[in-house]
Amino acid sequence: MKVSFPHMGCVTGYKRLMEKLGHEVIMPERPSQRTMELGAKYSPEFICFPFKVMTGTYIECAEKGAQLIVSSGGNGPCRAGMYPDVHQKVLQELGYKTEVMVFDNMFKDFSAFVKTAKRLMNGTNIFKTAGIAAYVYALVKKMDKLEKRLKIIRAYEVNQGDFSKAWKNIVSMFEKTNTIRDVNRTYKKALEIFDSIPCREVKEQERIRVGIVGEIYVIMEPTVNKNVEEILNSLGVEVENVQYISDWVEHNVIPKWLPFPKSHRVFKSSDKVSPINCGGHDKENMGWVFDFAKRGFDGVVHLMPFACLPELVNLGKFPAVSKELNMPIISLSLDEQMGEAHVKTRLEAFSDLIKSKHFSKQQPTSGNVADSFENAARKVGTKVDKVKENLQTSPAKPEYQAK
Amino acid sequence: MKIGIPRALLFQYYYPLWRSLFERLGFEIVVSDESTKPLVQKGIAVTVPEICFPIKIYNGHVINLMEKGVDYIFCPRFVHIEKDYWFCPKYIGLPELVEMSVPGSNVLVAEIDCQREDTADPKCYAPVAKKLGIPMSKMKTALKGAAEDFAKFREYCHLGLTLDEAAKVMFEGASVEDFILPEYDTTIGLIGYIYNVYDPFISMNIIKKLRELKVNVITFDMLDARQLLKYRNNCTRPIFWTFPDKLYQSASVMIKDLQVQGIIHITAFGCGPDSIVGKEIEHDFADSGVPFMTLRIDEHTGESHLQTRIEAFTDMIKRKIRKVKEVREVNEVKR
Repeated sequence: MKVSFPHMGCVTGYKRLMEKLGHEVIMPERPSQRTMELGAKYSPEFICFPFKVMTGTYIECAEKGAQLIVSSGGNGPCRAGMYPDVHQKVLQELGYKTEVMVFDNMFKDFSAFVKTAKRLMNGTNIFKTAGIAAYVYALVKKMDKLEKRLKIIRAYEVNQGDFSKAWKNIVSMFEKTNTIRDVNRTYKKALEIFDSIPCREVKEQERIRVGIVGEIYVIMEPTVNKNVEEILNSLGVEVENVQYISDWVEHNVIPKWLPFPKSHRVFKSSDKVSPINCGGHDKENMGWVFDFAKRGFDGVVHLMPFACLPELVNLGKFPAVSKELNMPIISLSLDEQMGEAHVKTRLEAFSDLIKSKHFSKQQPTSGNVADSFENAARKVGTKVDKVKENLQTSPAKPEYQAK
Repeated sequence: MKIGIPRALLFQYYYPLWRSLFERLGFEIVVSDESTKPLVQKGIAVTVPEICFPIKIYNGHVINLMEKGVDYIFCPRFVHIEKDYWFCPKYIGLPELVEMSVPGSNVLVAEIDCQREDTADPKCYAPVAKKLGIPMSKMKTALKGAAEDFAKFREYCHLGLTLDEAAKVMFEGASVEDFILPEYDTTIGLIGYIYNVYDPFISMNIIKKLRELKVNVITFDMLDARQLLKYRNNCTRPIFWTFPDKLYQSASVMIKDLQVQGIIHITAFGCGPDSIVGKEIEHDFADSGVPFMTLRIDEHTGESHLQTRIEAFTDMIKRKIRKVKEVREVNEVKR
């Protein structure tokens, strides 16, 4: 069967999964201007931006002859749970015979889950499927790990564009893997590639770090958020994104009462500000903001589609939260009218502000100077004590000399 | 002690319950003024610009109540009133949203998470009792009485009264006969949430305007709860919000059973669930031949725009009815 899926972040994992299960994969294009125009034209006017982009992608896939589109469902209060139904109706109105199939929460309706899974398994027996799942999970996990690293070290590259080029190579390398051993080997090779790229050296206290929170689709798909991560990296800012496919799977599959993965703890840490999850990731995102503040990040970039329901609740709370935590938060709401220059200008201004805030903290004030003198004196005192001790016992190799 | 209730969002629907409850408990209740331009402007000034219009109005009412000097602002958090059916995320985050955008507001939160339409579950109102220092036993009896009042109120609504009229019958001694209207030949279904239909600032008295045009108006709150369940299984995927689902179901009941000649969908700018429900209704009832119009309203909407569109819509429907009648008469003469 000709199968397709929405383009969200790094799609290698989905592609390999479908290929391994014996489907013919219609690769979705990266969302382009045409995709967004198509989506905006055929979607309801006030629906959120991810829906429009996905509509555009689905139409493009249907044009290429996709018979089945696989996506994730939901039944929370967020609009994402109604996506498949409306998408199906839009495609139907346009005269395509493409079917939209979703995976709903398996704890709610297990038989329906098994039914959809069976269809997707395409006659593959269950042990083989488990093997494929393990392989795909390893692949996704390793790629996400590399991507996390990429977003930190790319901030310090000497020749701009080196890392992005290398990343493209690495993705195509991963696409050729077949077994878990291949994946591990490619992972090691990718690390070597990363290490061979020239980087600037930075001191620990000069690192500027920014966290990205927001609606899962727009923070994962770079063409939709106008490459926020790359722009920030090119301004010399490290980026930590809170959503990756492997994290999302872990968060949803591992029971909530276990302390790992970290997102479970983060989820609970925002109880004071948002006692109940309003759907989507709003409570988790609020928790991540607290977590970033605790770890001493310099700022948070909040990305949301225009009129996203759960993120709007967060947006309303952010001014007060930002004041309380003394951490700047910038919110960008994205829609089809958004231009890259707009994002660039705002992020430049934001990074300038957080940099000046970061370095003003380190500049010596009269109180700081007194403190540092005191510290220095204490250090000298300990050193002197050590020297005295050494002289008294006179060992063969005094410790201070070895250093 | 004074408890303030903002005249916004679900106020008109649950006002009889809340009034009856707090009066039984012996508190004085203060209701904020009707929405006016200055009141709404105050709300807009403190709220994030992107959020939907009704929330901005809600904050305006909260500020109005604070100016009146109330001790608490009653702000329930609606999560469920039916299993698997949610409220819009903005309702779920409402108490915190209000606290953070209107500093100094002392919010009295009821956690509505139960399986009854009238929300009169003692579990939901336990936080209120705790904050006000009332024993739970007293709260339980008060809730029981309030629930009975609410049921009576809904009975009046099913007779075809609007929520405002039913409240007048309940509390101001008006009788049902005062509100009986002549039957016109045109019936229009007006679907929209409580605040969109009954807040005079959002809807600009649309019910009154339609009645002046000699049209019978049916809103979703006039329909019985059982009636709304009738076609629920026909949905391709359950619409998992309580009131949006009611709107969709009422549209299907109006078209299939009540033979309305037209449907007006009134929605506020930036409403999330409406973007879905509007599309679903448009798609599912496209073959029924019932005209469907969406009116979108925000702080810039002018009254003449609304008037013109309603008039054009009703004129079109009336002309259609006349034409059908003429053709039928001609056919009968021919026979």
